[in-house]
Amino acid sequence: MVFSPDLIAGVLSFLFTLLIFSYLLGDNPLFRIAVYIFVGVSSGYIAAVVFWQVILPRLFTPLTNALLSGSMAEKVFMLVPLLGTVLILMKVSPRLAGMGRIAMAFLVGVGAAVTIAGALTGTLIPQVLGTINAFDMIAATSRNIQSFEAIFSGAFILAGTIFTLIYFHFGARPKADGSMQRFGLIEMAAWVGRVFIGITLGAVFAGVYAAALTALIERISSLINFIGNFF
Amino acid sequence: MSDVIKCPVCGESNLPDQEFCRYCQSRLQPLTGTLKGADAAIKPGQVPTKKNTAELEPILPQWLRDARDSARKSAENDAAQAGRQSQESFSASSTPDLLAGLQSQAGNEEEETPDWLANITGAAPKPKKPQADSPEVRWVELGGAKDFAQEESDAEPFTPSWLEGLAPTEPQSDELTDWFQQTDNSQKSGQPEPQKPPFDTSFSAPVEPAAESGDTPDWLKKMAAESAQSNEALFDDSSKTFDAPSTDTPDWLRQMAAEAGEQTNDPNVPASDASDWFQQIAADDGSKNNNAPVISAGTFDAPSTPSSDAPDWLRSMGDFQDHPQGAVPAPGAEAAGFSEAGFGEPEAAASSAENLPEWMKDFPSIDNEQSAPGASPSWLKGDAPASSAGAELPSWLSGTQAPEQQQAPAQDEAAFGDIPGWLKAAAPQSSVYETPSAEPTPAPATLSFDSPDWLNAFKSIDTPDAPDEVSPPAFTPDSQTSENMDALFADMPDWLSNATDTSPSTSSTLPPAANAEEITPGELPSWVQAMRPVDTGSSARSSSTSLSSDQTLESRGALAGLQGVLPSVPGFAPTSKPKAYSIRLQASEEQQAHAALLEQILAAETEPVPIASFSALTTSRGLRWFLVAAVFAVLMAVLFMGTQIFPMPVGVPPEINGALQVSQSIPEGASVLVAFDYEPARAGEMEAAAAPLFNLLRQPNLTFISTNEIGSILAERFISGPLADSDKSGFQVLNLGYLPGGQMGIRAFAQNPGLTSPQLAGITSLSQFMALIIITDSPDSARMWIEQTSFTRGAIPMVVISSAQAAPMIQPYYDSQQISGLVSGLYGGAVFEQSNGGIPGITRTYWDAYSLGMLLAMVLITGGGLWNLVLGLRNRTSMAGGTK
Repeated sequence: MVFSPDLIAGVLSFLFTLLIFSYLLGDNPLFRIAVYIFVGVSSGYIAAVVFWQVILPRLFTPLTNALLSGSMAEKVFMLVPLLGTVLILMKVSPRLAGMGRIAMAFLVGVGAAVTIAGALTGTLIPQVLGTINAFDMIAATSRNIQSFEAIFSGAFILAGTIFTLIYFHFGARPKADGSMQRFGLIEMAAWVGRVFIGITLGAVFAGVYAAALTALIERISSLINFIGNFF
Repeated sequence: MSDVIKCPVCGESNLPDQEFCRYCQSRLQPLTGTLKGADAAIKPGQVPTKKNTAELEPILPQWLRDARDSARKSAENDAAQAGRQSQESFSASSTPDLLAGLQSQAGNEEEETPDWLANITGAAPKPKKPQADSPEVRWVELGGAKDFAQEESDAEPFTPSWLEGLAPTEPQSDELTDWFQQTDNSQKSGQPEPQKPPFDTSFSAPVEPAAESGDTPDWLKKMAAESAQSNEALFDDSSKTFDAPSTDTPDWLRQMAAEAGEQTNDPNVPASDASDWFQQIAADDGSKNNNAPVISAGTFDAPSTPSSDAPDWLRSMGDFQDHPQGAVPAPGAEAAGFSEAGFGEPEAAASSAENLPEWMKDFPSIDNEQSAPGASPSWLKGDAPASSAGAELPSWLSGTQAPEQQQAPAQDEAAFGDIPGWLKAAAPQSSVYETPSAEPTPAPATLSFDSPDWLNAFKSIDTPDAPDEVSPPAFTPDSQTSENMDALFADMPDWLSNATDTSPSTSSTLPPAANAEEITPGELPSWVQAMRPVDTGSSARSSSTSLSSDQTLESRGALAGLQGVLPSVPGFAPTSKPKAYSIRLQASEEQQAHAALLEQILAAETEPVPIASFSALTTSRGLRWFLVAAVFAVLMAVLFMGTQIFPMPVGVPPEINGALQVSQSIPEGASVLVAFDYEPARAGEMEAAAAPLFNLLRQPNLTFISTNEIGSILAERFISGPLADSDKSGFQVLNLGYLPGGQMGIRAFAQNPGLTSPQLAGITSLSQFMALIIITDSPDSARMWIEQTSFTRGAIPMVVISSAQAAPMIQPYYDSQQISGLVSGLYGGAVFEQSNGGIPGITRTYWDAYSLGMLLAMVLITGGGLWNLVLGLRNRTSMAGGTK
């Protein structure tokens, strides 16, 4: 009997699938063994990926090339990543952790700037424009959408957006009996917003269940296929 | 162990040369040194030296002077009121004569006569001089404003007039006899006071004699008043025995007898005003002799038979007169007293010989022997010096010099039981009897308990050197209690003690008390001496070794100017063990019950209250196993059977339609950038959703890249899996692997893909790709790609193949036309697969199981919701029924 890689992969896949399914019985050593193996293998794989795909080709190789054949500017330029890497490694030692603040500040600053700029230009402004354009009849016509449908859809989206935002408005006034209650109109709008939030969460839950169900079906199908290979 | 000193505090032994205790650091050597001379400690039985305290009056503290002033005023007021009301009873609230002797010291000749003596004699009291009550007046108590000035000039202001005869320095001035004679004359001259009891004025002086009563202590006033009233009974029939001056009868007694003889005949004298025992005596005498002769001075009429009303000392004196004669008084001689029956009948004296004090037994011997000339009794002669013991001194005074008087038994201590406190305090100070008598007297056989107390006290003091028994100390440390000290100050007038001071130089040579600093330490007042510790045997030994020579001069307080008067430790050592007080809380049972209840309440408050568990929210193991079994059974059955019961979706949603259009618009061999950003757990779903789309591409040039570390291997899995199974061939695949840096890496890659990935050399912009396909299970990953590539991708289409769980979050990007299409989950793959000409793919394999699983989920959710609704309605109904 020849143990092909597919067979070994199939057996391991079958075993680990059963081990993970054992969690239905509760937390047990088999489940923990499978989890520890997955974590270990993933860590090792990630380390290898980072070294071979990040450190070596993006730091050592250019630095070596720059030191060997690069100009002084290239050498100095390539020393900057190395210096940043060394400074970040200083955070391992509590005494030298302060030296890594420069590199960390650089990373956080650049990351914040990129995130904020991307959020503004990629999400916030386009979403506002998309809500406004929902009532654009020309755009709707160009997309073969009826005006009534476009208005209804736009109004529904607008109402859902407004009511959802109103729901998160927690301003209230004290009543005569000392209790706090929001303004009546806001309370009603918040209730509508709560309905929209419920629908959204229901859709998310349905998506989660659909994704999990698909993953389960794939695993059961793989088990059946693996077992079917022996028959 | 005499070489060691015991610490009075801790009781440990210390060396004699140590000043402080080496155990407790208490002082062993007192600050005051050994008292010598006048400052020496008083020996047991020793009578303190009487001092003239008049000069100390100015240095008394203001509070003491005020107190004395107020006391004097109150005394005057009381005396005036009592004189008006003619009260007969002894007033217990007698005004305190704290320093009554001061008046006698500073009084003039006219005021030297005490009121009580004046009352006895019946002489009209002289009006008292008005006393200026100016603030400058510095007289104290009974003294006048010029008392101290007079005191400086008068050499003998301290001796009361009636005792001046005792002073040896003035033998000629037998004032005692004189004022008795005066009182007799005044009594005869008229102004009898029949309405006033003789002894009433003792504590409440009459109005008129109040001016002179300042010199007289109240008790003496009372006694004088009583004697004045009852003298007819007391001194009747005494002319026989004591009428002759050659006898020992003093003149004042004779005067009293003569006076009493007249008063006896006075029918106005109310018998009820006299004291009982005097009345009894008077009645007895009156029964025998209504015209009882006036008894001479010195006679003491005592009933021969014991009478409950008669004082013992009177009865004893009656016996005492008879005893030397060897006659036994007749038993039936009740009214004899000091009459002939009393003194003339030897059998009466013999019968009461046992009750006679020893010193009183000396009276007859003195009388018989006629040893002491003059009127002074022999027992008083001791006070007078030999040079001054002239004929004027009564024989009974001269008798005081008899040495045998000092040998009186010290067991007279028992006789103090009948002595009032003030006499106890006064007895040892009577230095009249301090000098031993020159004439030996036989030792008494028995103690006389019937003699008057104050005479017993005097007698007992006269015999301090008893051979067999030690006389009790006059002032023992125990007697120095506050009570006794108060008695000393209240009951012991200084004039009484000064009366015994036979040394005229003491008062005459004293410097004026104008300045307290001039007082020498040795000139201690008698009352200060009385406060001094008694030098007992043990304390004397210890003090001899421990006392130092510290003579601290007192600069403040009542002892200002005095030196070495406050002994240290020996005198103030605790005499008894301090009382031990228990620190245990004394609580009743009710209080303890309340405390226990309070403890229970507090314990209940601090006891944690278990929170009721919400069992309805816990997951039922059976339900869980039921759901697992149902889902697994359905899925495995469907997958195992490979059924295709449920049809594939027909309609194409807009987002899927957009993705479909993009996939169809990509030209053949175009470069397509595919980002694998999903987790391995979602690989089955993502591969099922993405495979139909890739099947629609026509020989694309695929470039795989991933923003997570696992994405590269998932891409390899996708290449070797769904893409390999695809019917289409000619795919060119470039797996760029992991793109580090997250959003920054995506942005950098979007700006210049060739610079980031050397494999993409020549591609400097993201827009060089024909399409951008994002396969992700996370809306964040899709959002990063959308945001960071929005301004660099240009017009290239972007399709997102997402997991079903991320589709609701990515849908708005499609609605905002930021992405061209969205394929989500197995449903999107199934739609794509339907659009691919109906070639069954992997989605079809999963579709029945997926559909049954979704249906099962809907059924279970709906069924569970209905079940909860039923439970809720039932609970509400049950609760409504319970409330009704």
